[in-house]
Amino acid sequence: MGINLEDIHKSFGLPPTSVLKGINVTVNDGEFVAIVGRSGCGKSTLLYILSTLDQPSSGSVEIDGRLVENMDIGEVHSFRNMQMGFVFQFHHLLPELSVIENVLMPALKRNLAQQKRDNALKLINEFGLSDKINRLPGQLSGGEQQRVAIARALVMGPKYIFADEPTGNLDSTNGDIVMGLFKRFNQEQKTTIIYVTHDPTFASLASRQIHMSDGRII
Amino acid sequence: MWFLAIRHLFSRKRQTLLTLMGIILGTAAYVAISGMMLGFQSFIIDQLVNNDSHVRISAREDFITAHSMDKDFFGPSVLVSWAAPPSGRRDNAYILFPGAWTARLAKEPYVAAFAEQLVSQVIITRGKFKAAANLIGVEPTQQSQVTNIQKYMTVGNFKDIGTGGNRIVIGDLLLKKLGATVLETIYLSVGFGEMRPFKIVGTFHLGVKALDESNIFGALADVQLLGGTPGRISDIAVRLYKVELAADVASTWNMLGDEKVQSWDQAHEGIMSVFTTQDIVRNAMTLSILIVAGFGIYNILGMAVTQKRREIAILRSMGYLPRDITTLFLLQGLVLGIAGGFLGAILGFGVSHVMASIRVSAERGLGGEHMMISFLPSIYLKGFLLAFLASALSGFLPARAAGKLTPIDIIRSESG
Ligand SMILES: Nc1ncnc2c1ncn2[C@@H]1O[C@H](COP(=O)(O)OP(=O)(O)OP(=O)(O)O)[C@@H](O)[C@H]1O
Ligand SMILES: [Mg+2]
Repeated sequence: MGINLEDIHKSFGLPPTSVLKGINVTVNDGEFVAIVGRSGCGKSTLLYILSTLDQPSSGSVEIDGRLVENMDIGEVHSFRNMQMGFVFQFHHLLPELSVIENVLMPALKRNLAQQKRDNALKLINEFGLSDKINRLPGQLSGGEQQRVAIARALVMGPKYIFADEPTGNLDSTNGDIVMGLFKRFNQEQKTTIIYVTHDPTFASLASRQIHMSDGRII
Repeated sequence: MWFLAIRHLFSRKRQTLLTLMGIILGTAAYVAISGMMLGFQSFIIDQLVNNDSHVRISAREDFITAHSMDKDFFGPSVLVSWAAPPSGRRDNAYILFPGAWTARLAKEPYVAAFAEQLVSQVIITRGKFKAAANLIGVEPTQQSQVTNIQKYMTVGNFKDIGTGGNRIVIGDLLLKKLGATVLETIYLSVGFGEMRPFKIVGTFHLGVKALDESNIFGALADVQLLGGTPGRISDIAVRLYKVELAADVASTWNMLGDEKVQSWDQAHEGIMSVFTTQDIVRNAMTLSILIVAGFGIYNILGMAVTQKRREIAILRSMGYLPRDITTLFLLQGLVLGIAGGFLGAILGFGVSHVMASIRVSAERGLGGEHMMISFLPSIYLKGFLLAFLASALSGFLPARAAGKLTPIDIIRSESG
């Protein structure tokens, strides 16, 4: 199973500038993959195509044996909801909601907030935020916010985590904590983790690195 | 999405409150002004319907035209050319065959009651003072069935008129104008006819100045005698079971005979056209409230969508569908509309109550001691629905735009 990309091309704008130029890549279940490369080489673009948030200009994306282009909008969204977690560089928490509410948002979509509440509290505990469950994001530090975002990505017990420079906005201590959490979930839960990073140290933690340059994998 | 929608609204307290205030004031204004206009209208309509009659059959006024004398003077076969053509108006008009009408009315299933009347212009003489008035000869039992006159009696009983014996009841303003008192005798005459004494046995106050200062009710037989026209009547006042039928019934009857048949609203076209104008004003007001409330909501939601782009992206990445996002913003508009409409209706109710307690001078004409305010539930329902509709319509566009945003475009533009 896993995710399989075949001959992916992606271009933007008019006249089209080609950003991805024929990508073939397979990510197997349980892998811990880092995407690295210079700024502007197309890492984020690749990650969003891998995660169904973006569509390629040509080529096919297959997740768990199914072609994404053949799934309808409801299927894609419920797949995202149950099987995927996202972590972005800028945490993207909902500022009106408390820590626990933020973590439970994916569960709320399926009316599973009650069932997932214990899991959410467990994650918050493990991430060292147990005394802050009722705080609003604005009352947390950047590192704490990023941990909340990760707890939210994990709350549904997804198969895949996609992270675009999850440590990009953090100091090295907080960066270590975040990467430690990823590593642990990859080992304990067999969660497939795909992340983009600029940091060679963090990249070296991965079981595999995908090196990109100018829209191609090298 | 309810939960998040409410949180969003609370996170923008000041904007939310301002928009809400706008909707509340708009709805309240609608309710209060409608209450005032409709209160006034229904008061007037009540006066017109119940003091006059639903349908009035009256003798056609007979005008003398250039050739209407030809036959009488010269016979049918002569072509007449008048040096000075006759003109004018025949003195008094009578219903020619009242028996045919009354027989018909007695049979019509939608006629509740009818009253024969003889209406004459009279001169009142009290000592050296003279005044003109409108003397209506009626059969009091019949008349009471057709109108609510008894309800408006301030002194005495309408039936005291009896069926003869020169007893009358007169408008309270007329009594005042004459300087007369109840139980006093005044003299009435028709045209150049002789004066006869009539005893005032009661007064009424309809609340319509024109009627209260000129109308006199007397027994039909007495009025016929005064005018020297025994057995004649000039009008038949008809009450229907359903007042809504009045105009239709009147139009149908109008084709039956020589008489003029008019429903209460046909007879008071002038007033009805004032009401039409009022309704236009009211609807224009309604429209402007809709627009103001609508723009308020459109504005606040448009801003919210822009402010919340990141959150839209993250919700979509969590698997929330475009229509969930649309719902999120639509709900915010609807909450504002519903809350504003509800509170506005309550405020409008309060304002209406205050207005209803304002005293207005009875002298200036329109009856009641207080301002007439309508508290019809339909006004409140309509006010509320207006607010609701405005919010639904104006929330729709920004909400749909929010649903159309794709997460990837937002993420690229936010962190790109
Ligand atoms: N919507 C867009 N329209 C036009 N060009 C785009 C768009 N999105 C991305 N690009 C271009 O595509 C290229 C790759 O972008 P991408 O974000 O994938 O790079 P990246 O490797 O993630 O860079 P960074 O390390 O700075 O995040 C860049 O040159 C960028 O300018
Ligand atoms: Mg990037």
